[in-house]
Amino acid sequence: MAEKPWEQTGMVILQAESEIAAINMVYGGAGTGKKVMTSSSSPGVSLKQEGISYMAGAELPCLIVNVMRGGPGLGTIQPSQADYFQTVKGGGHGDYRLITLAPASVQEMADFVGLGFDLAFKYRNPSIILADGIIGQMMEKVVLPPFHPRRTDEQIEKECPWAARGKKHGRRPNVITSLELDPAKMEENNLRFQAKYRQIEEQEVRYEEFQCKDAEYLLVAFGSSARICQKVVENARTEGIRLGLLRPITLWPFPSDIIAQYANQVKGMLSVELNAGQMVEDIRLAVNGKVKVEHFGRLGGIVFTPDEILEALKVKIIR
Amino acid sequence: MEQNEIIKPENLVYEKPKLMNENPMHYCPGCSHGVIHKLIAEVVAEMGMEEETIGISPVGCAVFAYNYIDIDWEESAHGRAPALATAIKRLNPSKMVFTYQGDGDLAAIGTAETIHAANRGENIVIIFVNNAIYGMTGGQMAPTTLIGMKTATCPYGRDVNLNGYPLKITDLLAQLDGTCLVTRQSVHNAAAVRKAKKMLRKAFENSMAGKGTSIVEFVSTCSSGWKMTPEKANKWMEENMFPFYPLGDLKNV
Repeated sequence: MAEKPWEQTGMVILQAESEIAAINMVYGGAGTGKKVMTSSSSPGVSLKQEGISYMAGAELPCLIVNVMRGGPGLGTIQPSQADYFQTVKGGGHGDYRLITLAPASVQEMADFVGLGFDLAFKYRNPSIILADGIIGQMMEKVVLPPFHPRRTDEQIEKECPWAARGKKHGRRPNVITSLELDPAKMEENNLRFQAKYRQIEEQEVRYEEFQCKDAEYLLVAFGSSARICQKVVENARTEGIRLGLLRPITLWPFPSDIIAQYANQVKGMLSVELNAGQMVEDIRLAVNGKVKVEHFGRLGGIVFTPDEILEALKVKIIR
Repeated sequence: MEQNEIIKPENLVYEKPKLMNENPMHYCPGCSHGVIHKLIAEVVAEMGMEEETIGISPVGCAVFAYNYIDIDWEESAHGRAPALATAIKRLNPSKMVFTYQGDGDLAAIGTAETIHAANRGENIVIIFVNNAIYGMTGGQMAPTTLIGMKTATCPYGRDVNLNGYPLKITDLLAQLDGTCLVTRQSVHNAAAVRKAKKMLRKAFENSMAGKGTSIVEFVSTCSSGWKMTPEKANKWMEENMFPFYPLGDLKNV
């Protein structure tokens, strides 16, 4: 019989009664310094927002996975990227940020689990993988990342001196909480969070450039949209249009600086998203009016074709 | 007995629990929370588990429970304490884990988390303080508010046609196969305090023996919310709460 890790290693996989319970189980486990994750699709992730805000407020590391489907409401089970605002602008209440990783392949879907946890523990902040129904159901060859042995209790106690694991003799009690009624102290807490967010913005921006060097026009797209846009770039170049693609890998922190640099090089940018125009707002903020920035999207679970995107580029940007 | 005799350690009959710190409590005079906190501090210390215990404090009057008992704590969102406790205990089976919840937290917003944690038989202790009113937010109706009882949101008394019936959630929890001990206690006099402490210890022992979920309900007073003196609140509880929420073990296996 093959070894069952959940019987041998302390790994726990538990089906919760609701998404609300699931995210709060993550809160509880993360508070003891363990690596804990939860996953769902858009409506379920809406239910998790309260818990996510609490975890950001209590500075707990964890990993959340949202495989986006079309909304609003119960919507559809087909792919979408309409939870961009929810993920990078808040979702839950209060001034907080989620480290947001957008995979464009099954390989990245696997790689970002480790990366997401590493960043979450580095900054004591929740990370989220923001995928969509295309990536979620795609089959591709994957090289699994190197295996890391499970941390021992001693390692966890050393790495997470803040964790609630039982008050060892001599130290003060550890309390995992986001509550602080003294407004002066609560402002201090918020300023500490903001300083951490600025540090993440400086150090953790990730993006990929495709045929950008000589680009006259730029597509900006994340996740599965970026995969489709690679084909658009190839097709455009056979027509003599010097098109490039910039793919944000971290949606927060957003690659504003590199986009601002390309605003000095290209004549216009098209934000290609499976939504009604969300990331386009962040691109416009980065470009700050220097060049034309437009959005092209399909909604409700419909996925665009490369031809549609190229046509939109011609109509909205080049013409 | 001379004063010097009295202060000799061998003559000590009572002391403040070692795990209770010097922070002044925010609870109102006559409130049951203080005594229940004391019992937890005593039981955890007497079991020698102060370095292995993690408490989960609720939203409600006891939100600051972590300010008074010197153990590690996690502060939960409203009603979600049993979900936190589930993960803490499952990931750290050698730890002793308890939730501390009021009637709004456990029996209204957190009903699902409470029932499902108990139904899974999580090896945790759920301490349930039932004073039939929302104390922290200013005395609104709770799921456990008695029929006819006046609160800020049922100023003419709880009307079954409008507000439904008081929720006997402890009776409901006793029906679940995942629970091993479901008991209803109070701390309104010395005898009750002693009995409650015994059952609290049994609950904590069950959790470490892996017997399933233990629920200790404390039928409690809220003199501020009930708008009574502490003495009158105790009397009112005996006359009105105990007939509807009778004390004793609903399940003890």
